[in-house]
Amino acid sequence: MGKLKVGVYGITGCAGCQLSVIFNEDEILDIVELVDLRAFPFIKEVNPEEEFDCVIVEGLVADRGDLKTLKMLRRNSKMLVSLGACACTGCVPAYRSFTLKENYEHLLYRKMEEIKDVEPTPLDAHILVDHYIPGCPPEKKEILSFIKGLVRGSIPRPYQSPVCVECRQNGNTCLLDQGKPCLGPITAGGCHAVCINGGFECWGCRGPTEDMNLDLMVRMLRDRGFDDKFINDRLRTFAGLKLPMLEKVMSGKAHKTETTFRGVRVFYE
Amino acid sequence: MEVLLLKKERLNGFIEKLQQDFEVIAPLKGDVIRFLPLKNPDDIFLGKNAYFPIKEYFFKKNEVLFQFNGTKIIVPELPSKKRAFFGLRRCDLNAIKHQDMVFMNDIHDPYYTAARKDSYLIGYHCNTAPSPYCFCGSLELADYFDLMVYDKKDDFLVEIGSSKGKGMAKKYASLFSKTSKKISEEEKKIPGSDRLEKKDISLFYNNSDWKKGTDLCLSCGACTALCPTCYCFETHDEVKTSNINEGERKRNWSSCQLQEFTRVAGEHVYRKDREERFKHRIFHQLEYFKEKHKVPLCVGCGRCIEGCPTRIDFVDILNNMKVENG
Repeated sequence: MGKLKVGVYGITGCAGCQLSVIFNEDEILDIVELVDLRAFPFIKEVNPEEEFDCVIVEGLVADRGDLKTLKMLRRNSKMLVSLGACACTGCVPAYRSFTLKENYEHLLYRKMEEIKDVEPTPLDAHILVDHYIPGCPPEKKEILSFIKGLVRGSIPRPYQSPVCVECRQNGNTCLLDQGKPCLGPITAGGCHAVCINGGFECWGCRGPTEDMNLDLMVRMLRDRGFDDKFINDRLRTFAGLKLPMLEKVMSGKAHKTETTFRGVRVFYE
Repeated sequence: MEVLLLKKERLNGFIEKLQQDFEVIAPLKGDVIRFLPLKNPDDIFLGKNAYFPIKEYFFKKNEVLFQFNGTKIIVPELPSKKRAFFGLRRCDLNAIKHQDMVFMNDIHDPYYTAARKDSYLIGYHCNTAPSPYCFCGSLELADYFDLMVYDKKDDFLVEIGSSKGKGMAKKYASLFSKTSKKISEEEKKIPGSDRLEKKDISLFYNNSDWKKGTDLCLSCGACTALCPTCYCFETHDEVKTSNINEGERKRNWSSCQLQEFTRVAGEHVYRKDREERFKHRIFHQLEYFKEKHKVPLCVGCGRCIEGCPTRIDFVDILNNMKVENG
């Protein structure tokens, strides 16, 4: 059997996630040995766009061109991976969805037809995603583990427990106790709690956990004196479109809401 | 058991002697109290019990179990280190006892045993409950130490609890003086630490009061990470990029509070419900372990309450639980 054909692509995004792939600089030559890195337009000139075993896609769908590229990649690949916060949740660019169109339309969008009728959305709003590597930026070692797992035929499960698990194991005390608006308890870890290790609260860049107690998180933030606008803004910064129940939770009307989390249907109570 | 007298001004001298022969681990005060390798004996802080548990020195957070290359397995050298632990409370000592039961009696865990083998346990008796969360008095803890230091205002009394302790007392005999005093059972009790009421909790499995806990539970796993007895772990493989047949199997702490803990093939999760997970911890600590080992796993240190982001006090919940009909 020949090497697996892998592509790394970016649609609307900052290219930081693609940089995270390359930042495995000590192993990049081994990666090229391990898989046939056919396409990586960010760093390669020749990129045949056919027959992939796996494509890793950074960024979110923000215009018609993105959608076309994404659908083409999905058609041409056996497996498709969401890389980074934008691809997984919609992240900061999805903020456009939470504000009225008339607030921003006149600025740019009137001139750019291809953006006008596409809502900024994560990849799984349009196509089936097989695996998620979240984070802003994603953990470079996690990308490496994925590629190795792909070749070995045992892809590691995405880390789905909250940031707090690694945070406590690192010997940190809780930032919520210090009154900081840390989103660790509802955010998927796997990041080794790098921000909290440095004394900086978690902003939730790896997206909400399937098991989050969002209602309690909101109560805790309110108890610490944060107003609803702040809570809304902070929670949505990285969770993007993956907190459809937030409004109901904030208004105290939370009840069973269905959402999709990393491709799995989840009921949030 | 045999008791010696240590003059207060000789404590630092004793610690310095220990430092000549051992790596000394003691409670130090930083942002919170942690058990850390000691440099200066003056840094020891005995005013309150440590926030983080002692277990990480024996049951490590992350550990390489073995290396593999194809089908060849290489178990790493497991050197033991001569270490003296000073300032362990009665709860810490019993937590070590319970983990010893799991990793050295039930099974032989070479990694735990190697770390535990050359360790000397020197306790420090609490004259009063050091934290409002303590409830060790409700749990009938045993004597489990090499030496135990009792603060008796003018002097320290040092009780010898094992042959290792006896060896230490002999070695540093010049520091101790003989005494006719004894430590009575009454003196071993810690006032203000028996707030968990005795009741048969098996009657309460389906009680509606568990909601009081789960409504405030984030399932963050702080309780199990800070618990000195919780011993659950998970394992995973890490392979080299240059050769994917070569790598390491590692284990790290896990927690029954996480859905991931009981997730099995086919995405089935045995304890999906937060309440199930919350109750499982309490029942394992107070009931299930007791069925097998005759003692509850819990040692009543209260760290799971002190370290909980929402301070869920399961002792309070249990005390207020009443048998429900129907």
